[in-house]
Amino acid sequence: MAEPMKIRAKMDGDAADVKVLMSHPMETGQRKNEKGDLVPMHFIQSVIATHNGKLVLDAQWSQAVARNPFLGFRVKGAKAGDKITVSWTDTAGDKGSIDSVVAA
Amino acid sequence: MSAVPLAVGFLIASLGALCGSSFINPALSAQPATARSAAPLELEKPASARPWQRYKVDSQGSSWPQTQWNNFTNLANAGVSPPMHAAPAFSLPVEGDAERGRLLAYDRARGGSCVVCHIMGKTTPAQPGNVGPDLSTVGATRDDQFLFNYVYDPRIYNAKSIMPPWGAFGVYRLDEVRDIVAFLKTLKEPYAITDKNENPNTRPAPVESRDNLEPTENPAMFGLDSGREVFTRKGANGKSCAACHSAPEIAFKTWAARMPRYEPRLQRVLGVEEFITRHARATTADEMLMQSNDNVALSIYLHNLANGAGISPDLSSAGARAALANGQTLMKRKVGQLNMACVDCHTREQHANKWVRGQYLVESKGTTAHFPTWRTSRGDIWDIRKRFQWCNVSVRANELPPDAKQYGDIELALAALNKGEKINSPGIRH
Repeated sequence: MAEPMKIRAKMDGDAADVKVLMSHPMETGQRKNEKGDLVPMHFIQSVIATHNGKLVLDAQWSQAVARNPFLGFRVKGAKAGDKITVSWTDTAGDKGSIDSVVAA
Repeated sequence: MSAVPLAVGFLIASLGALCGSSFINPALSAQPATARSAAPLELEKPASARPWQRYKVDSQGSSWPQTQWNNFTNLANAGVSPPMHAAPAFSLPVEGDAERGRLLAYDRARGGSCVVCHIMGKTTPAQPGNVGPDLSTVGATRDDQFLFNYVYDPRIYNAKSIMPPWGAFGVYRLDEVRDIVAFLKTLKEPYAITDKNENPNTRPAPVESRDNLEPTENPAMFGLDSGREVFTRKGANGKSCAACHSAPEIAFKTWAARMPRYEPRLQRVLGVEEFITRHARATTADEMLMQSNDNVALSIYLHNLANGAGISPDLSSAGARAALANGQTLMKRKVGQLNMACVDCHTREQHANKWVRGQYLVESKGTTAHFPTWRTSRGDIWDIRKRFQWCNVSVRANELPPDAKQYGDIELALAALNKGEKINSPGIRH
């Protein structure tokens, strides 16, 4: 599987504008496959973002979030060159993480 | 990429400009190009699953209709749909249940409902279309006989109508046609839709403003990464694509823009995706059926390498010209239970740039350069053949396998129509 996350972080006024796209099926547990069997629940449960190692966002997600989730947020007080890290954990215990240096 | 191959790229570009498409760079002789020794292709087996079975769901779970429309014409079999015939005898005046007729006329589950194309008086539900005339006063201007015949089969009066023969093709039973006529007879008051976004004649055309090449916006960009990986991955015989194609950024700068192309060994048109299947079988021994994940990923990668290149199909051979002519003919063929042709909805002369309910009909020109494309409404990446299959199913015609000759001909006809349009892949569309 290719890099399962994409991130963009750049300054916008006094805040860093961060955009993240995660590649994930986000199965609700209610969808049926071609054979008519239920596809087991499998979704990102927890998302954490840090700014230079300090926690700035801690989200609990559910089945209600669509496949390939997009997350956008702003980090006030961040500066160009700072490091933003976004990580997730899903119901199967799988993890993903990506970081980016904030562009000017 | 290092500076050296870049310099080579400039050299090729400038020489290519001098010599036209006949220029062959010996360093890249493994590359297929026009007027070149033929690329290795496996020629015997089909390039997609057999027997072909329609998709049940897309990867996000959006379902495909499962009805088989064997009694109607499709792109592979002409003349199956029932011929035009007079409506069966009916008594005048037409008696029916106007309320049931109104429900039928607005029912999305049956034929898509009349409001897909018509405004129908003050009870018109949200977002009517404007492909057909406003019917708000039809009950005051048309008689029972006309209404019954027209709903049964509009071609009785108007050979050019694109309205489905609702009765003749069995979408509605005769008693249902009578109910619909009873409802139409109640429509006597003009109805002006004042909300500009609600009125299909003033509703602004949708504009796709998402940046398709921005990785955080277009999930198909994940496919581009996968494609690059498949390209460098060792195949079943230990060889990768990259083993022969060492400088893909140069070699494929315009390749996808010159596809699809007529392949004399198969005597039909190959698109990028079928080429991938057959070329991989002959070179890396990989099996990448059309519309498999690997195939679509590679197709995205190869199209993306040609981004910015103008579409320029090779129509120089007699075979290509025959395929083009056949593609153009097929685009005029009425198919399916709804009896519609590509040109009915997607040409300016007919009904392009109008609304079918909340969906906007686009012209065929300007609609191919972004494939393969992410479809937000389906949660899936579609190559152009899957788009064709969905078009077929939408007018209730059996779709063909993705490697069908007819789809190749239509793809070539669309490429000719889109000549000069710049490849911009992967796309993103609703």
